[in-house]
Amino acid sequence: MRGYVTKRLLIAVVTLFGMSIVIFSLMRLAPGNIVDILFESAGYVDQADKKQLERELGVDRPLAVQYARWVGEVARGDLGKSYRYDMPAWRIIKPRLPVTLELAFLALFFSILLGVPFGVLSAVRQDRPLDYVLRVLSLAGLSMPAFWLGMIIILFFVRALGWMPSITYVSPFVDLKANLWQFMVPALAVGYRSSALIMRITRSAMLEVLREDYIRTAWAKGQRGTLVVWRHALKNASLPVITVVGIEFAFLIGGLVVTETVFNLPGVARYLVDAILLRDYPVVQNLTMFIAVVVVLANLAVDLLYAWADPRIKYEKA
Amino acid sequence: MTPLRRSVRLAALALVLVLALTLPVPAQAPKSGGVLTIHPLTAPPSLSPHEESTIATVQQVSACYSNLVYFDPAKKQESIDTVIPELAEKWSWQDNYRNLVVLLRRDVTWHDGKPFTSRDVKYTFDVVRGAPDAPVKLRINPRKLWYENVEAIEAPDPHTVVFRLKRPQPSLLLLLASGYSPIYPAHVPIADLKTTCVGTGPYKLKDYRPGEFVEYVRNPNYFVKGRPYLDGVKWVHIKDRSTQIAALQAGQLDVAGSGWNRTNAETAKKGKPELTVIESDSNVNDNVLINAKRAPLTDERVRRAINLALDRKAYLVGPRQGAATFGGAMQPRPSGVWGLPQAEVGTLPGMGDPVKQKAEAKKLLAAAGYGPSTPMKLTVSTRALAIYVDTASWMVDQLRQVGIDAVLEQIETGVWHPKMTRLDFQVALNLTGTAVDDPDAMFFENYRCGSQRNFSGYCSEEIDRLMVEQSQTLDRAKRLKLVHEIDRKLQAEGARPILGWGKQYAVYWPRVKAFPQHENSIFNVSRLQDVWLDK
Repeated sequence: MRGYVTKRLLIAVVTLFGMSIVIFSLMRLAPGNIVDILFESAGYVDQADKKQLERELGVDRPLAVQYARWVGEVARGDLGKSYRYDMPAWRIIKPRLPVTLELAFLALFFSILLGVPFGVLSAVRQDRPLDYVLRVLSLAGLSMPAFWLGMIIILFFVRALGWMPSITYVSPFVDLKANLWQFMVPALAVGYRSSALIMRITRSAMLEVLREDYIRTAWAKGQRGTLVVWRHALKNASLPVITVVGIEFAFLIGGLVVTETVFNLPGVARYLVDAILLRDYPVVQNLTMFIAVVVVLANLAVDLLYAWADPRIKYEKA
Repeated sequence: MTPLRRSVRLAALALVLVLALTLPVPAQAPKSGGVLTIHPLTAPPSLSPHEESTIATVQQVSACYSNLVYFDPAKKQESIDTVIPELAEKWSWQDNYRNLVVLLRRDVTWHDGKPFTSRDVKYTFDVVRGAPDAPVKLRINPRKLWYENVEAIEAPDPHTVVFRLKRPQPSLLLLLASGYSPIYPAHVPIADLKTTCVGTGPYKLKDYRPGEFVEYVRNPNYFVKGRPYLDGVKWVHIKDRSTQIAALQAGQLDVAGSGWNRTNAETAKKGKPELTVIESDSNVNDNVLINAKRAPLTDERVRRAINLALDRKAYLVGPRQGAATFGGAMQPRPSGVWGLPQAEVGTLPGMGDPVKQKAEAKKLLAAAGYGPSTPMKLTVSTRALAIYVDTASWMVDQLRQVGIDAVLEQIETGVWHPKMTRLDFQVALNLTGTAVDDPDAMFFENYRCGSQRNFSGYCSEEIDRLMVEQSQTLDRAKRLKLVHEIDRKLQAEGARPILGWGKQYAVYWPRVKAFPQHENSIFNVSRLQDVWLDK
């Protein structure tokens, strides 16, 4: 196992290196640049000042030099300076990471909490009223964008209770209760959509497994229904579910932009979009690399979980 | 009780009632305390107003700083008559408006406890005007042009400053009163002021988190005794408009409305009828940039046809939802000071009978060689923001009605201004707001030959000469006449056709008192020292 993990981590480094080139190149290919944006509405623009600023930010250097400088800085743990805010990029990124991570984890928690049991129930009660109800619910979850659902929930709270989650971020270390209230609604809105996907995957995997011979044998031996379903069948049906959960988590880290906007949560995704529009290269590059690292690690975790879920999977050489 | 006595008593009671109903109700005494929570237009790119050109910075930093002079928050219309002293105790013009002598207050300290002196004033404006001997240089200096007429600034003693001008310029005082003209502390590195604030204003910076909020607490040493009333002000950055409305209705915001349209304000009010909605004029106009240097717009007939095709009344009911006023280059009266007379505004291109004007536009296009078999192809560019796109889409429809094959091009914010500066467009829909309602600010910036915000590339030596002439005209009536002459010419030549002037909104709970709103500038009103909460 250790050898496999080491190998995967090495591959991850290569993947991230490739990602860094893609991220760097895409930002430079987009039209417009930060210096023009900084001077965008200035009534008086001195061309010498613009040149000076280009020099100061290093955007006048050849692309290879800029790339090497960025990679070198990251390797030294220096994320550079935000062009837009003229302050260390880390100072901007740091407070946003826990927000997005908390939202993503909570959303994932709700999606698994709802998706897996409903998927199992739906499979066990196939083509019965409960199955139809759960399938309609899952279809609704897939059809409704999380931000729209979030907005509807907010409007409901405001109209019915005259209340909505806090519009400024409350740290769990300052007020845990307020923090959970703040994250509950967006996490449920996002988690519901993910749960719908997880439920459908769980259902179809369970339907397949429930028809296997060993399950029939377990029933024939007179084992308890809950034991057969939740222990034998679910564990064997969990491989595709784990895969989906891994993909969903990776998606959540970078894909929460609209949810963060609607709920006014100062997370990574919302800020990333602003930074892209402003061509704030150091912030965009570092945030995207962070998301890439999370995706790579999530995939690695998924692969390792396979071995736990299915003992037939071995990562060591025979 | 005898009938007479009863009658006397009833009469006395009636008299008391009448007096109670007719006498003016004494104004409610302001209360101290509370934190005002409010959302700005957007998050500020930095906290340094001298280095930014956005209302977002001015709006959120004004509470921290003071100017030499400022526009009276209680007066809705800003003009030379509503300029009040702040750090200046008094001022006087000398040598026929060539020298402005300002005597400073002696009881002012910076938020870090250091004394405020004339050195700070000289430092600020030497830096902003880019004086050769300025101790530092601003990385971006958007308003250098404002002070190009200043020859020197002297600080003969710690409480006196003299602005020496190259030519008379009475409007300098208005520029100094703008939210864009706060006094910076000479002892704080200028780069630090992008992320912090050391001012002399009513509130001290408590916390600033880019993209999240800017929070202030009361400055106990504020030089205006008894102010501010509030314990603090918190500007919360909320990007989504629906969330802004919901947050206001839920009571998490005390005030909202920055960047709202009438529908937003009505939606908020519908949900919570007790909210107060203030709709007022604003100094932001929708204007059309016609690039006269690019074919087919080199033809004057085509430019006129476009101007005529855009029916201003349809603009009012369409994209502006009934919330706009009409005028020329200067903000229309009565909220604006320098606008063309209303009777004249009604005769401007696009203001007449739409059927007749569209027919005339078609004739002009035909004369230029365009018709149903040879339609003109035109791209209408605009910024990819809802407030721009709504009006630009309406423009496309109007142009199609006269046979122009118009298409809409939405341009991302990051590319918008560079494209405009390079004149890399055919026709564009733009929004323009100036910090002060004064011809010196509006004309020089947007219409002078070579100005970098003259996005249509319009250039007239005669207009440039008239601009300078009006600037140094001391007689106000004569100056107004000159300003009208310039405006008339600009409209007649279609230098930058104005569609209309938008409205602004402030929506707040009844507990918010004395919330200021000016009708002819959104930039000079956010000191918030007189605002109080009736909680």
